[in-house]
Amino acid sequence: MKDVLLITLKGIFRDRIFQGIMALAGLIVFIPSAASLSMRQVTELSITLSLSTISFIMLLLSVFLGATSMWKDIERRYTFSVVSLPISRTSYVFGKFFGIALFLVLTAFVLGCAAMISIKVSSMGYPPARPVEWGLIMAAIVFDAFKYILLVGVAMLLSAVSTSFFLPVFGTVSIFLVGTITQQVYDYLHTPASEKVVSAIVKNAALVLYYLLPNLQSFDLKVYAIYSIKPSLGGVLTTFCYGGIYTAVLLLASSLLFGRREMK
Amino acid sequence: MTSSVRPFILFIVSLLLYAAVMVPFTRHMKHKPVEEKLGYIPEASTFQYLCADQKTFISSALLMKVIMYFGGLTDKQFEKTVAAIPDYRGMSNIIHTALKLDPYNMDGYYFAQSFLTWEVKQYAIANKLLEYGMKYRTWDWYLPFFAGFNYSYFLKDYGKAAEFYKRAGELSGQELHFSLAGRYMQESGQTELAIAYLTMMAQGEKNQAVKKNYQIRLKAFKEVSRIEKARDAYRASRGQLPVTLETLIGKGLIAPAPVDPYGGTFYLEPDGKVSTTSKFAFGGRK
Repeated sequence: MKDVLLITLKGIFRDRIFQGIMALAGLIVFIPSAASLSMRQVTELSITLSLSTISFIMLLLSVFLGATSMWKDIERRYTFSVVSLPISRTSYVFGKFFGIALFLVLTAFVLGCAAMISIKVSSMGYPPARPVEWGLIMAAIVFDAFKYILLVGVAMLLSAVSTSFFLPVFGTVSIFLVGTITQQVYDYLHTPASEKVVSAIVKNAALVLYYLLPNLQSFDLKVYAIYSIKPSLGGVLTTFCYGGIYTAVLLLASSLLFGRREMK
Repeated sequence: MTSSVRPFILFIVSLLLYAAVMVPFTRHMKHKPVEEKLGYIPEASTFQYLCADQKTFISSALLMKVIMYFGGLTDKQFEKTVAAIPDYRGMSNIIHTALKLDPYNMDGYYFAQSFLTWEVKQYAIANKLLEYGMKYRTWDWYLPFFAGFNYSYFLKDYGKAAEFYKRAGELSGQELHFSLAGRYMQESGQTELAIAYLTMMAQGEKNQAVKKNYQIRLKAFKEVSRIEKARDAYRASRGQLPVTLETLIGKGLIAPAPVDPYGGTFYLEPDGKVSTTSKFAFGGRK
């Protein structure tokens, strides 16, 4: 598994994706000047723009790396040589996943450092009403990375059963979008107003989907980081456990499906 | 012509065509009607589902769009190149949507307060928005301070005003807010209080368009204050109110003659209240 992980990581660097990210990270340099357009919350806007940029870059990475990595290997017929090696298919899937996850962590670290410099510059020029909570900013970036690592798991699961990259790419994007609103739908379904307009069948179907699909909203700590509001520690720990277990389920399902897949 | 030269020439031609089309294209974009620039934003209840995990960013982007739209129009009003009145309803809708997406965003409350009150006189909407914001920005003394000002100055509800000023004082720890809470229990010196409020707002403002707006209003209120002082001096010496502003100017009680920065003309109402034909707004003269 370690070899597959390293090969995956090397492959990502060979494809010059890291250089691309570095170029995008250049955008972060301009954040303090863009944030100075705010009337009353320059530092808060600087944090918003930094976290949003990091989140968007990691979304692109998780979708495209997660959804194309296995497909590319199969398309280039690399998997034939891999499956003939004395490593299990499970190790291959896990190696791929952890290679991409490690790259996401590395990206989050580099972009996070650049963002913190930008935020520091903004806060020196325009001191915020409330002191910047650096720990919360780091937590927001870590949980964002965690969210996208889970999304890589989704992409791997779809890649394990798909013969093209269309299903993994579009499927992952769709699950990401749905995952960010499942909680809102759940909350709506538990309001008296919904009882008049939503039938019992639709409500039950939506509840099944709520438990089946990932709940990505809980990983979003941006508001807490931007306005220096302390989140509930219990909620953060529960989210951490939820993310870990959900990703493990996704990975095990992916390896099971990939193990049964016929290679032609 | 060799086959290797032809693509190069075609590339140069395409660059020239690009340069040629950029001129009318840039002109078109620059002169696009302002309504098109502000655009239409769906209701927050629907829109939030499309924002995924970028609600705070989209909220900031929407507010920036409104601020820039207003800034552009204000600049044109100052330059007297356009008489268009900003689409305040559109601006209000976008700000409400933005604050539904990110209820903590101070720019939204601050900007809404600046135009919903002075410009469009929608005090109830402004206060409702401020009270909504107070549920989230529980540490921020600005929101109760704004609400206190609206209740006292515009709505003449001094009980409510005192309540909000007290809250602002508790949050800020500033003696000024506590003293305002007491002062607003009775109606007195409204123009002076408006001048104090506008001075504070203009001093803390870094957006040039909004700052300029406050400064113009401040200038107008300082002129009103001069007229009020002259009117009071006239009443003190003659025991009756002056009938017209010209009486005060003629008696040398006010010199130089007051000038309305909005382009209107000051006048005295029968009860002695100072008014202006501009209604303290550009394009407000009828």
